[in-house]
Amino acid sequence: MGMSVNLPGDEFSMPGLAYLKSVYSVVLLVVVWEVVAQLGLVYYAFLPPFSDVLVRLVSLSLSGELVFHAFVTLRRAFAGLLLAIAVGTLVGLLMGRSRSARWFFEPLVNFGYPIPKISLIPVFILWFGIGDLAKVLLVATDCVFPIVVNTYRGAESVDEKLVWSAEMMGSSRRRRFRRVILPAALPDVLTGIQIALPISLIVTFVFEMISGGVGLGSLEIQGVREFEPTIVFATLIAIMVIGLVLDRALRVLRGRLLGWE
Amino acid sequence: MAAGDAIRSTRPGGRLGRVTAALVQWLPLGIVAVLWEALSRFLVGGDLLPPVSQVVVNATDLLLQGEVLGHLSVSLFRVAIGLSASIVGGVLLGIGMAQFRAVEDFFDVLLTMTYAVPKTALVPLAILWLGVGTGTAVLVIFLGTLVPIVVNTYNGASSVDEKLRWSAEMLGTSDRRRLRKVVLPATYPAIFTGVQQAIPFSFIVLISAEMVASRRGMGNLILSYGQLGNYDQMFAVIFLFSLVAFATVGVFNRLRSSVLAWE
Repeated sequence: MGMSVNLPGDEFSMPGLAYLKSVYSVVLLVVVWEVVAQLGLVYYAFLPPFSDVLVRLVSLSLSGELVFHAFVTLRRAFAGLLLAIAVGTLVGLLMGRSRSARWFFEPLVNFGYPIPKISLIPVFILWFGIGDLAKVLLVATDCVFPIVVNTYRGAESVDEKLVWSAEMMGSSRRRRFRRVILPAALPDVLTGIQIALPISLIVTFVFEMISGGVGLGSLEIQGVREFEPTIVFATLIAIMVIGLVLDRALRVLRGRLLGWE
Repeated sequence: MAAGDAIRSTRPGGRLGRVTAALVQWLPLGIVAVLWEALSRFLVGGDLLPPVSQVVVNATDLLLQGEVLGHLSVSLFRVAIGLSASIVGGVLLGIGMAQFRAVEDFFDVLLTMTYAVPKTALVPLAILWLGVGTGTAVLVIFLGTLVPIVVNTYNGASSVDEKLRWSAEMLGTSDRRRLRKVVLPATYPAIFTGVQQAIPFSFIVLISAEMVASRRGMGNLILSYGQLGNYDQMFAVIFLFSLVAFATVGVFNRLRSSVLAWE
């Protein structure tokens, strides 16, 4: 399908000393940002000084507000992602190992994958209200596609000799699925999850911006509405940190699980 | 796509055979459409889910009235500008990073950091900078699609066959000429892959930006029909835009395989 972002490779990772040397661009940018903003060269709403953003970030964190919003957002995103993993892995494995499942699901996946599911936000509001349920289900709807496609690819390319050997040794079909096919497809399942993770956050944020209430998305858009640019920047920094941590965590998990790869 | 072709090719030749094969291949979509129709007519009612036949009729009506075309062209214009900007910027940056150590050192961390931001979180920032409208949508599309293009270009350009580069050097080609004549062509496949990954993202980000920060475009149209309770039109516009997105991805994949046929 070729629609996946290249995740598994660690294109930008660097060892210690080189790392220190290479973060200078960030430091430089932050200094320029601070100076430009302090000198009043740009509107405050456009770019408040970095120090103001930091102060806001600290106060939002200390009051527990930021943690609360982040918790709600992550709970929604993870619930949807887990649902998508459960359904997507199952469908993908079936497609990889059964002709009829492949026949049925393949056109649905090929048609559904390129469609921006995010346009269904008002539909999910109509069906499930503006609460958590609608968000979780839309996240799952969007995340299920990359997981299905990658699991399918993995399950399809399992070494047939492994499957035959297991068959000859008299293992049941169910056991074969669990013991042979799933482990062999695991790298691709994980790739699917790595692609789905940012999608789960993307969907949750937009949904929160539109429906309001709690969550990092609504906090950020609230900053726009109330002309509090420091809230927008502080939330964005928090979102970036969350994105970085989750991405690294998945890579570490991948390394642990696939030690034999 | 790939596996679909495999199914087709196992069938015996001839037009009839091909038509039957295509029918069999796409039959599941028909089954789902029938289920949808039945669900809406007998179970949930047309308010929650208009029958698929009704959605098609409504979509045709909307198209004939023409108003939707204005919104569609606004949306496609935004995607075209944002994506073109990110292709130009992404290719320059990707090749620059692969060729010059200083450029790589400078942008490496910045890219890792932007890469980690789920791109729709940039919409509020874009509103701060450019207000509500086309500028915001274009900016978010640009930022949202830049990373896959840079990463792919960078990977492609750094793995250009060393022998090719040495030969060009030995033949006395200037640095600039070598970039244009050797490195860039060798990177085309990777660039295409980057754009291919970027297109679905551009649609996601477009719809998000238009729902949150626009008074025109398909995203805004869908959301405002939903808020006004005009669900028939809402479903029709979603249907139309899904077709457009699906077709765009399909056309680009075709284009890619015909351009890179020599690969």
